[in-house]
Amino acid sequence: MKPAALTWAVGLALAAVGACRRPQPGDPLPGLSAAQRDRFTQGRAVFDSTFTPATGLGPLFNADGCKECHETPVSGGTGDEVERHATAFHPGGPGRPCDELAAEGGPVFQKRVTPALHAALNIDSEPVSPHATAIAARTTPVILGFGLLDAVPDSVILSYADPDDRNGDGISGRPNRFFDGRLGRFGRKALVPTLREFNEGALSAEMGITSPAVPNEETVGGRPLPAGTDPAPDPELSQEATDQLDAFVRLLAPPAAQQLTSEARRGREAFARVGCPGCHVPALRTGDSPIAALRHREVAAYTDLLLHDMGPQLADICLGLATPSEFRTEPLMGVRLKSEFLHDARAKTLEQAIELHAGEAAGPRDRFLGLPAGDRAALVAFLKTL
Amino acid sequence: MTRIALIVACLLVPAAAGAQQAPPPHDSLRGAVRTVDPRARTVAVTTGVGMALRVVQLRVPTELRVSAGGAALPLTALQPGDIVRVSFGWRPAGLVAYTIERVGRMTDGAGRSP
Repeated sequence: MKPAALTWAVGLALAAVGACRRPQPGDPLPGLSAAQRDRFTQGRAVFDSTFTPATGLGPLFNADGCKECHETPVSGGTGDEVERHATAFHPGGPGRPCDELAAEGGPVFQKRVTPALHAALNIDSEPVSPHATAIAARTTPVILGFGLLDAVPDSVILSYADPDDRNGDGISGRPNRFFDGRLGRFGRKALVPTLREFNEGALSAEMGITSPAVPNEETVGGRPLPAGTDPAPDPELSQEATDQLDAFVRLLAPPAAQQLTSEARRGREAFARVGCPGCHVPALRTGDSPIAALRHREVAAYTDLLLHDMGPQLADICLGLATPSEFRTEPLMGVRLKSEFLHDARAKTLEQAIELHAGEAAGPRDRFLGLPAGDRAALVAFLKTL
Repeated sequence: MTRIALIVACLLVPAAAGAQQAPPPHDSLRGAVRTVDPRARTVAVTTGVGMALRVVQLRVPTELRVSAGGAALPLTALQPGDIVRVSFGWRPAGLVAYTIERVGRMTDGAGRSP
């Protein structure tokens, strides 16, 4: 073979290997254009930024950048930070049962403050409202693949809803809704309708970074910030940078499922047999999207994005229509990247997490617990491939 | 999503607007009624972006009627959890509603596009 031909052959072979290579955590979606990949790279720089008070951080915040929490094993992954959310739940009262304490700086009560706010108010964190009826711990979700979840049509999610359990399987998923009536899907209680709002809201609620969509700072328990504690001009992140950040998160590929061993294959069968897919729907299909890589794709999310009653032991805060015991089915894609489980990290193993399922999930949990030990281990082995 | 931005713009602009005798700035939002006080003629609406939630407090002029499906309703017809579309403007005493339209209930939803 001539040298030029050899070069071409090697190049083609490498390209073929590259095309077939499974996306690694942190990779962009396959099939992006060069311009989209550029946008992804620019957005990663924003995501990985560390903010300071001079560049907009705080005065109230939980983290000094997206990556401080979403760091393991890559940007967009999970982390060990645990946040504090609080709301007030008054069922049977004259108003809405859930008060998100929006008038008092909630439901995210930031755990850190800048030196200037500390000096002005002598506080180290935002005090939780005295009106809160519950305080919840919240871990960092893996956000890899969230662009695909955003592209799932509402109609697909609603097709799994069965609020009155008409099929009698004991599972009655129902949708949450944002305050303007749109279907929610992001967040542990599925309050947030779109990925864009999830990102822009996090800039404000998690980092105290104002953006064109949220140009006013968080308050301290509903009270305005003391003068001089917020030196950076608003918006602290430009529209361009916000768009880049959104592109990065949107175009992050979901972690590719790992090759199934024979044990994991048995575990997948057990997963189906005990009824986990009643909520952890193995795959959702996206709809139309201006981004070809998100359009009409199957995403192995293992969620229905609906609320389910998980029983009184897990109950904490309400949010939107979600009662304290209702949680959105946690997507299992990327669960292998986590070392603690459930919304508040109370489960240290996947087996513990399953044992803590209750309410609508009591049936599948009991069937899991009734499996022979080998089948239980196989089911966990299957989950560790996701 | 730009609602909060525009509300803040409303809060910042009045001095300049007053100097030029321009009409008061106005904007609209869509959110869920948090509280209604018919005696004080105020409505508080919960809105926001993602988990960054805000409450917008509005005064409701006595002559203003709430609309719903083309019908006019008294302010007392509004309930917490109603989804409303509100246009409003800035006055020295705060935000004042120009129109309030009831478009649904949070429990029922009201379509994907606000």
